[in-house]
Amino acid sequence: MITESVEEYLETIYRLYERGVATTTTNIAKELKVAPASATQMLKKLAKQGYLKYTPYRGVTLTAKGKRTGKEILRKHRVMEKFLGTLGIPKSKIHKEACELEHHIPHDLERAIYQKVEGEKPLPPGAPSDVVPLTSLLDGQKGVISFIGGGRGASQRLADLGLTPRTEITVIKSALFRGPLLISVRGTTLAIGRGVASRIFVRAK
Amino acid sequence: MSTTEKKSIRIALAGNANVGKSVIFNYITGLHQHIGNWPGKTVEKAEGTLYFKGHTIDVLDLPGIYSLSAFSIEERISREYIAVEKPDVVINIVDASALERNLFFTLQLLELGTPMVVALNQMDVAEGKGVTINVSELQKFLGVPVIPTIATKGVGIGKLLEKAVKVVRGKTKAKPARYGREMEEKIRKITKLVEKIPIRYPPRWVAIKLLEGDEEINKIVGGIDQKIVSNAEKHAKDLERIHGEPCSTIMTSERYNIANKIARRSQRIIPSRGPTLTEKLDAVVTHPVMGYPILIGIMLLVLFTVFTVGGYLSGFFEDMMEPIRGAFGSGAGELIGEGLIGGLIAGVAIVLPFILPFYLILTVLEDSGYLPRAAFMTDSFMHKMGIHGKAFIPFLLGYGCNVPACLGCRVMETERERTIATFVVTLVPCAAVTVVVLGLVGAYVGIHWALALYALNLVIIFILGKIAFKVLPGEPMGLIMEMPPYRKPHARSVLKETWMRVKEFVYIAFPLIIIGSVVLTGLKVGSLLEPIGDAMSPLTVGWLGLPAITGVLLIFGVLRKELTLVMLAALMGTTNFGTVLTPTQMIVFAIVVMYYIPCIATIAVLVKELRWKKAIYITVFEIAFALLLGGIAFRLLTLV
Repeated sequence: MITESVEEYLETIYRLYERGVATTTTNIAKELKVAPASATQMLKKLAKQGYLKYTPYRGVTLTAKGKRTGKEILRKHRVMEKFLGTLGIPKSKIHKEACELEHHIPHDLERAIYQKVEGEKPLPPGAPSDVVPLTSLLDGQKGVISFIGGGRGASQRLADLGLTPRTEITVIKSALFRGPLLISVRGTTLAIGRGVASRIFVRAK
Repeated sequence: MSTTEKKSIRIALAGNANVGKSVIFNYITGLHQHIGNWPGKTVEKAEGTLYFKGHTIDVLDLPGIYSLSAFSIEERISREYIAVEKPDVVINIVDASALERNLFFTLQLLELGTPMVVALNQMDVAEGKGVTINVSELQKFLGVPVIPTIATKGVGIGKLLEKAVKVVRGKTKAKPARYGREMEEKIRKITKLVEKIPIRYPPRWVAIKLLEGDEEINKIVGGIDQKIVSNAEKHAKDLERIHGEPCSTIMTSERYNIANKIARRSQRIIPSRGPTLTEKLDAVVTHPVMGYPILIGIMLLVLFTVFTVGGYLSGFFEDMMEPIRGAFGSGAGELIGEGLIGGLIAGVAIVLPFILPFYLILTVLEDSGYLPRAAFMTDSFMHKMGIHGKAFIPFLLGYGCNVPACLGCRVMETERERTIATFVVTLVPCAAVTVVVLGLVGAYVGIHWALALYALNLVIIFILGKIAFKVLPGEPMGLIMEMPPYRKPHARSVLKETWMRVKEFVYIAFPLIIIGSVVLTGLKVGSLLEPIGDAMSPLTVGWLGLPAITGVLLIFGVLRKELTLVMLAALMGTTNFGTVLTPTQMIVFAIVVMYYIPCIATIAVLVKELRWKKAIYITVFEIAFALLLGGIAFRLLTLV
C-alpha cells in the first residue's frame, strides 16, 4: 500500500521530469512547499523502496517503477482537474481539490470520468488515458489537443492561431537547448516556446 | 492630400501577418503614402491616397493580426477602427495557401458587419502547394465578393479596386456568419438587450464579445448598464457548463469549425510529392547543428556590410559637410556652426550612414522569412534575459545603435514583453560605446579588459532582464509565432519599407540631436562647462575617483556617447590617454559610459515607445546603476 505522501512526491518528481526541470532536492522541496531536510529524508525512503535513485547533492532519477506510479497519479490529477472544471468549480479551487481526489480514484472510475469529460469513444479496458503535454511528443509525432492550461492571454492567442480543443497538431521538431517547438496546425507552421508548449495538453497519436 | 473631393472613399486593408498586405498597399498607393503612429499608441499607421477611375480613395493599412480578440494593442486598434470609424469598405486580404486560418479572421470581420471584399492573395503560392480554390463557391459561403490576386505581380489588383468601389456604391453590408443553435440563441437574447442602449458598436458583435468575456467591451457596457453584463455572464456560464470550456474558447472553436467547413468545401488539395522548398530550406536553416553557423554567418555578414557601407558613406558625407561648419566663426556664430550645423552633421554623417544599410538589410531578411527562423533558434538563449526569441533581432540591433533597436521592440505583442525587451536593449553597448571601450580600455589597459567589460555587460543584462521579468506585473508571454514560408524579397516593397523606416528615424532622432548640440555649444560659449564640472565633482572625483573634467564629458556623452572620448582628447589636448588617466580610471570611466544613460536619441525613442513615465524610470535607474557599478569598480580595482 502506497501512502498519499509517497504518491504526492512521485507525482511531483514526475511532473518536474516531464517539464525538463532538474529533479534536485531543492526543486522538489520548493515544488512541494516542504523543508529541504524533510524532502531529503523522504527521498531516501523512496530510494529504499525502489522508486528512484538518490545521489546526495545531485538529486534523484526515477526508476521505471517510480515513473509508472508518478505518471499514473499525474494523469489522475489532470483528469480530475478537467472533470472539476466541467462542474463549474472555480479555477482557484480546482488544483487543490484535484490534489486530494487523485489519491482516491480507482482505475475504472478514472476511465469513466475521462470518457465523460473528453466525449471520446470508449477506451479499450486497460489502456492508459494518455493526455500529455505537447513537449513530451517526439519529433514527427501527432497529437490531438485535449485542453490548454495557463493564462488567459496565451491560451486565447493559441486558440486564435488555430489551436482549439480537438484539433490535430504535428510536432515537426524542437530546437536545441530546451528551445521552442516547431509545430504544424491547420496547414500553417508555428513556433511555440517550450513554456507555452508544456501547457498544451494533447492525446498522443 | 485635399479633403475637398466629395467622392473620397475610405478603404481599410485588413488581414493576417505575412499575407502580402503591405505589398498590396504599396502597389495601389504608389508614392502617395505617409506613415505615422496611431494617436497615443506605438503602432504603425500607414495611410495612402490613390486616384482610381474618377474616385479619390484613401487607403489605410491596418496592422497584420490573427484575430480581433483584443489580445494585443494592434488587435484593439484594428477593431476599434473598423467598428467605430467605419471605413466605407474593408478589403480583407486572405492567404490562399492557408485558407482555414485566414478565414477564421474573415469570419470575425464579418461579425462587424462592414461592407467587405476579400482579396484571395498568393494564388501562385497556393498553386505551388497543390491547392486549387473554387472562387465562386467560396464567394457563396462568405456572402461577399472574392477576387483572386497575386499582389507581387500586380495580378487582380485593378479588379479588386473596381469591386471595392462597386461595393461602396451599392452600400451592400456583409452578413455575419451564423454559429451553432444554442450559441445563436444566447447571442440573440443578449443582442436584444444591447440594442436598447446607446453604443457605437454593432449590437450583435457586442453580444458576442460579452459572451466571450471581452474585458474592454465588458467595461464599456458595464458603464452603461451593469445588468446586461451580468446577464451575459450567466449565459456564458450556461455554455461553459455544457461544453466544459471557457466561453471564449467555445466561440473560437465555433469560428474555426465554420472556417474549416468553408475551406474544405471550396478547396482541393493535391499534396505535392516531394518536400516543398520551405521544408528543404528549413531542414538546413533550423538544423540543430548547421543552423547556428548559418545564423552567426548571416549576422556577421550583416554587421560587416553595415560597417563597411556605413563607414564609406560616413566619410563621404563628413568631407562634404565639414567646410560648412567652420564658416561661422566663434561666439554667437559658434552656436550655428558648432551647434546647429555640427548637430546636423552628426546626424547625417555619423548616424544615418549606418542606419540606412542596416534597415535595408533588415527589411530584406524580414521579407525573405529568415527572421522568424532566427527567433526560433535563439529563443532559449533570450529566455535567460527574461524575453523571448522575437526580441533577438532588436537585441542584436542594439550593438549597432539603441535607437532602431528600441523601435524594433514593437514586434513584441504585449505591453509587458515590449517594456522588458526595450529595457534590456538599452543596456546593450552600442557602436558608440564600443568606440569608447576599445579606444580607452582596449588600447591602453589591454584588450582582455575590454572583453571582460563586455562579458560583465552580458551577465548584467541577464540579471537585470530576469529581475524586470519578475517585477513587472501582467501575464508573462512566451514565444507564439507563425513561421511563414520563405519568399523572394519583393524589391519595390523592400525599398519603400526601408525609406519609410529611415524617414521615421530621422523625424525622431534629428531634432533632438540638433537641439542637444545647440544647448551644449551654448554652455561652452557661455563658459558654463567648468562650473558644471565642478558641481559634479563630489560624484566624479569623490565617488568614482575620476578627474573633475569627466563631469563635462559625461554631459556631452548624453548627446552621443563617443563624444566623451572626442571631448577628452580636445579638453586634455592629447590623444595619448595613457598620460591623463590611470588604468583604473579608464576602466571606471568606460563602465560609467557603458551604462549611465541611454543617449538623447534613445531617450526620445523611449518616450515615444513607452511614454514619459517608463522612459524616466529607465533613465534614472540607469544613471543610478552606472554610478553604483562605477563606484564599486573603483573601490575593487584600487584594492587590487
